[in-house]
Amino acid sequence: MPFHPQGLTSLKPSGRVNPNLHALAHGGGPILTKRIPSWPYADPKDRLIVSYDEYVKTGGYVGLRKALAMKPDAVTEEVKKSVLRGRGGAGFPTGLKWTFLPKLATNDQGQEADPGQRYLAVNADESEPGTFKDRLLMDYDPHLLLEGIAIACYACRIKTAFIFIRGEYHHQAHVLEQAIAEAYQHGVFGPKGLLNGENTARGGSFSVDCHVHRGAGAYICGEETALLEGLEGKRGWPRIKPPFPAVKGLFGKPTIINNVETLAHLPSIIEFGADWFCKQGVASTLPGNNPPSFGTKLMGVSGHVARPGVYECELGIPLRVLVEELCGGIRNGKRFKGAIAGGVSMGILGPDQYDADMDFDIGRKHNVLGLGTAGPTIFDEDTDMVAVARNIARFFKHESCGQCTPCREGSGWLYQLLGRIEEGHAKTRDLDLALEIATSMGSMPGTTICGLADGNNWAVRTIMNKYWSEFEKRVQPTHVAVKMTVGASAKG
Amino acid sequence: MAWTTKDSGGMKVARRAEPYLTQAMRDELTRDILPRYETTRAALLPTLHMLQHKHGWIPAQAMLEAAEFLKLAPAEVIDTASFYEEYWLKPKGKHLVQVCRSIACEFCGQPEITQAVRAKLGIDVGETTDDGKFTLIELECIGACAGAPAILIDHTLHEGVTPEAIPALLDNVPDPH
Repeated sequence: MPFHPQGLTSLKPSGRVNPNLHALAHGGGPILTKRIPSWPYADPKDRLIVSYDEYVKTGGYVGLRKALAMKPDAVTEEVKKSVLRGRGGAGFPTGLKWTFLPKLATNDQGQEADPGQRYLAVNADESEPGTFKDRLLMDYDPHLLLEGIAIACYACRIKTAFIFIRGEYHHQAHVLEQAIAEAYQHGVFGPKGLLNGENTARGGSFSVDCHVHRGAGAYICGEETALLEGLEGKRGWPRIKPPFPAVKGLFGKPTIINNVETLAHLPSIIEFGADWFCKQGVASTLPGNNPPSFGTKLMGVSGHVARPGVYECELGIPLRVLVEELCGGIRNGKRFKGAIAGGVSMGILGPDQYDADMDFDIGRKHNVLGLGTAGPTIFDEDTDMVAVARNIARFFKHESCGQCTPCREGSGWLYQLLGRIEEGHAKTRDLDLALEIATSMGSMPGTTICGLADGNNWAVRTIMNKYWSEFEKRVQPTHVAVKMTVGASAKG
Repeated sequence: MAWTTKDSGGMKVARRAEPYLTQAMRDELTRDILPRYETTRAALLPTLHMLQHKHGWIPAQAMLEAAEFLKLAPAEVIDTASFYEEYWLKPKGKHLVQVCRSIACEFCGQPEITQAVRAKLGIDVGETTDDGKFTLIELECIGACAGAPAILIDHTLHEGVTPEAIPALLDNVPDPH
């Protein structure tokens, strides 16, 4: 499938909110960022927080209204049909995740049994280095997230949603709280029921409560079960699965955990339909029955590019097009050396992988862990890759929660070892040792409870393997020629 | 973060007569926060945030008061509070300067930023100035990679900072509350 960088030909002069947004979304313009001026459509300088009124004026809450006219299972079915894959890193199909909730019995009149208390936990604990895409949505278009939350809650018959936002996002938490207050005021949430108690296809109104819960500076809380622990007021230690959260999650109740961007896709999927959604993005080209990469994706590009920022692109855009055409190329006219695929735990794309397609196939095609959050950090030719590996190892050492021994101990050793290599104090055999530690501390499945150790492993191992000669240059040979100091040769 | 073990069993808690968890805070928690959750423990993070916001850090007495108020064991409160990096269980300066040291920031000039702050304040990373005005720390990704290098001064994010801009930035820090 030939790739069309979205809207590159329709570069528009910067304007505030475009009145034709609605049409634009149909015609291949931005979808998630249609209210947030972004390159290449508009100048990010014009960004403003979208209020409730402006949101509604530009087609807001239409998707939710449409969802309420559908049976909850029909909403789930539509999301399943769109094959929307989770935008938080793992790429798990969202609709499928929802179906893991316990089934509800129906009586003779087709009336559903009371679902009881269930929870939606919104993962806004965006802390992976190189990832800052959810922040954009929460900064400027909070109602898009709230509408997505309302749709997800209705589809899953959830009455309470918690937005778990990382502690460092002070401003974003404030914006969300204001937006939630606005939403309550206008009857979106609250005891009356969604959209002022609008009658639903399920029968009667359906009410949802939504709250912000601030984290306090722990990367691990982005792991879904650690997030639930954080919500329960405990230390963020991931739980052993099963039971999976959909069966036994927050406070022991069925819980769905979705990423901010995933939820932000829901209003347009419901409004325009799954078929429309599937027209964007690419199908999988891997052999076997691999799920496709449909839809657009927020890609946060950082590092050595001329114009870093969040770009909304169709999945499947080649990294080269993303960097060279949208981000203005590598800054100062330098050459490309490598890129973190999408958050440091995904590993690195080497100098010969500049043409990698940014879709969910990337992991198996290019020897990285996966697409992650699709937030590439680009490195130019002057970058010291040993330092990159050391930086990443330090991050994981710092953020390991300390629960599992391989990760707690391994991450510390790895950091020390890479520090020694960077300083030039290491021997050749230390390179093998580093690889061995990386591999044995995290190789799915089984050595640790969560995937943090795997991220550490993939990051360090792919950097070392793809830039081996750089590491070799920094170490001293393990065996050193010994000068003879006895016998006849001692004099010479 | 997470992994600190120390003998605090025999620690003597310095007490003051005036409670850290004020009546107004208790009322706000009872009215707005507690009804959201199924357990009182779930309100612990918001309670600790509130305490830190008011006092700048979380003294041991405040944790005891929080435990009593939320009907938890003090150990449960310490367990949670000591895990999360954002909670200060020791006093810090009036202003907190946090320099991001993660991947994008480090390779876009963070070392020079840290150096500029150290030079301006005359302290090393992890230290507080003698007048108690500034504490400097380095932390992992603050989600501002496009604006690297980025620093957080109290709750305000500064993106694309240069070493030259640091002195003026630190001279004009607004009051945190």
